[in-house]
Amino acid sequence: MLKVENLSTSYKTIDGDVHVLENLSFEIYENEIFGIAGESGCGKTTLLKTLYDIIDFPMQIDGGRVLLSGKKNGDLFSYESGRIRDAWWKNISYVPQAAQSVLNPISRLKSQFLDSIPEEDKRSETKEETLERVARYLEELSLSRDLLHAFPFQLSGGMRQRVIIALATFMSPNVVLADEPTTALDVVVQRGILAMLMRLQKELQNTMVVVSHDMGVHYQVTKRMGIMYSGSFAELGGTDDIFDDPIHPYTKMLIGALPRVGDTSQKVGIPGRPPALTDPPPGCRFAPRCPHSNERCRQEVPEFREVRPGRFVACHFAEKVKIDDRKAAGS
Amino acid sequence: MKFAKYVGLRILTWALTIWIGVTFIFFVPRMFPSDPVENMIGRIQSRSGQMDPLEMESLRKSLRIQFGLEGSLLEQYVSFLKKGLLQFDFGPSLMSFPTPVGDIIKTYLPYTLGLMLMTTIFSWLIGNFIGLQAGFRKKQLSSKFLEGVAICIYPVPYFIVALVLQIVFAFLLGWFPLQSTIITMGGFVIFIKSLLRASILPGVSLLLVGTGWWIISMKSLSGTVAEEDFVLYARYRGLSEGRIGWSYVLRNSIITQVTALAMSLGGVFSGSIMTEIIFGYPGVGTLIQKAILQSDYNMILGCITISIVAIATATLIVDLIYPLIDPRIRYS
Repeated sequence: MLKVENLSTSYKTIDGDVHVLENLSFEIYENEIFGIAGESGCGKTTLLKTLYDIIDFPMQIDGGRVLLSGKKNGDLFSYESGRIRDAWWKNISYVPQAAQSVLNPISRLKSQFLDSIPEEDKRSETKEETLERVARYLEELSLSRDLLHAFPFQLSGGMRQRVIIALATFMSPNVVLADEPTTALDVVVQRGILAMLMRLQKELQNTMVVVSHDMGVHYQVTKRMGIMYSGSFAELGGTDDIFDDPIHPYTKMLIGALPRVGDTSQKVGIPGRPPALTDPPPGCRFAPRCPHSNERCRQEVPEFREVRPGRFVACHFAEKVKIDDRKAAGS
Repeated sequence: MKFAKYVGLRILTWALTIWIGVTFIFFVPRMFPSDPVENMIGRIQSRSGQMDPLEMESLRKSLRIQFGLEGSLLEQYVSFLKKGLLQFDFGPSLMSFPTPVGDIIKTYLPYTLGLMLMTTIFSWLIGNFIGLQAGFRKKQLSSKFLEGVAICIYPVPYFIVALVLQIVFAFLLGWFPLQSTIITMGGFVIFIKSLLRASILPGVSLLLVGTGWWIISMKSLSGTVAEEDFVLYARYRGLSEGRIGWSYVLRNSIITQVTALAMSLGGVFSGSIMTEIIFGYPGVGTLIQKAILQSDYNMILGCITISIVAIATATLIVDLIYPLIDPRIRYS
């Protein structure tokens, strides 16, 4: 389970610190696929990096922490920011964006698998035995064992992504973080990759975090999701719940812009652009683009609060907007 | 099968390169308006006065034969290819007549090759090792220091480094001879001693400058590779720094360096000229210098032909080694 408490991060730049994540608190539970959605530059990857504890200059944690805890092979474990590195690959693993270039181009996949398996996991076996385990695992995932003898450049993009997912899940980690796992792949391959992730999650009963800007991916795969806007969550809750009944105006507009089968109405985009993180507006960051905003929105930062069990929204009018919409629909 | 085709093609390119190069150095001097035989006769005449026309004609004829200039251009060319390329026979040297050029080159070649190969290979090994440290572990103090030294030495022109060494250690301190002689007679120990005395200073000068270059190039190569996605991802998988440095960074950046090594091995002859002149080291470099000064055409032709063959062969070796270190070439 991943627990994020009051997390704030920033990037050091010449013009001063750019605050990307501001005071984030949420939990990701065991045995679920959690989605993180949002447009480019809203902090999705920064959040994922912080979850995985990749905190390198110029990024820094200003406050709060991430807590990774759970149970593996009967042993309880718990790591927090700064120590999560010790759990890499055993308890938490990472499927990166740009799977095309993350494998060493000049060594065979088998050596890259061997590299990734911690010593303590293979101390009592020979290299061949370890490789046999890997080969059997690949076959379980409906991949050919011959892949182990291949070089990365001999595989297609989709196949490489599958191999990386296999690489990231071989140690049955409790948490798998996937950053845009289907970007740059065509829809047919996307579907295969998503099915693979879902199947793996079902078998491992672990936590998967999928970051994607594609709402369709979240609808298909995730059980709960959070929608980020300009460095923090606008809305968080069960995926079906959010799609059926979006509360935050941003979510509403996002979902309203999705094409649906049989729907021939003209789709409208969200006017305006997300604010620059170097100079965010005071108050609600969505206010300049929000049709419901008023003076209060422009001055006071809305609290990220639980409006009903399991459903969090950061909007002053979380309750009111809904009523207004009903009225509009009724009249 | 595919590999055999690859090798065959490379060998064909190799032969073709040598042929084209040798053809050039055969024809270019023959297109000069000056004729080496007439030059020679002119020189003899200016030294010893007028000659009997009959005597002169026979001298001209024998000179033509020695220079390989008898017969039509095509005949000359064919006999040059046959003798020069296949038997390394370039006729007699004119400055130390009548010793064949091939024999003289053979006596000098081992000294040049020994010195140049040793220094090139050692500076490659040392430079790449330090360069890898400097590029991959940028924050380490020792790598920063060594890189700083390299950056200071590298831009200094080679002859200045060499001259400074020569002035300080040979002239002022007198530890080494100003003009080296290698004593081949008088036993093995004396030979080795004189060889070491002769080659330490030129060796050090070549090592200093060569290592500097390898450090700088390897640093920038490995620095770029160290930022690649696959290195970052190796780190995110929890691999040890040693493993990442060896099989992710080094193996990906060394490919370029192997090419550069072979190229610099091919260039040892031209590279040795300045070293040998400054340190008075007896080798092919000094030989070429002397040959040019004394218009020893046969010698020049011989040295250049050997140089062409060496460079082409070095390239061939790289092409043949490449598939072994880079699978992307092996399978495409």
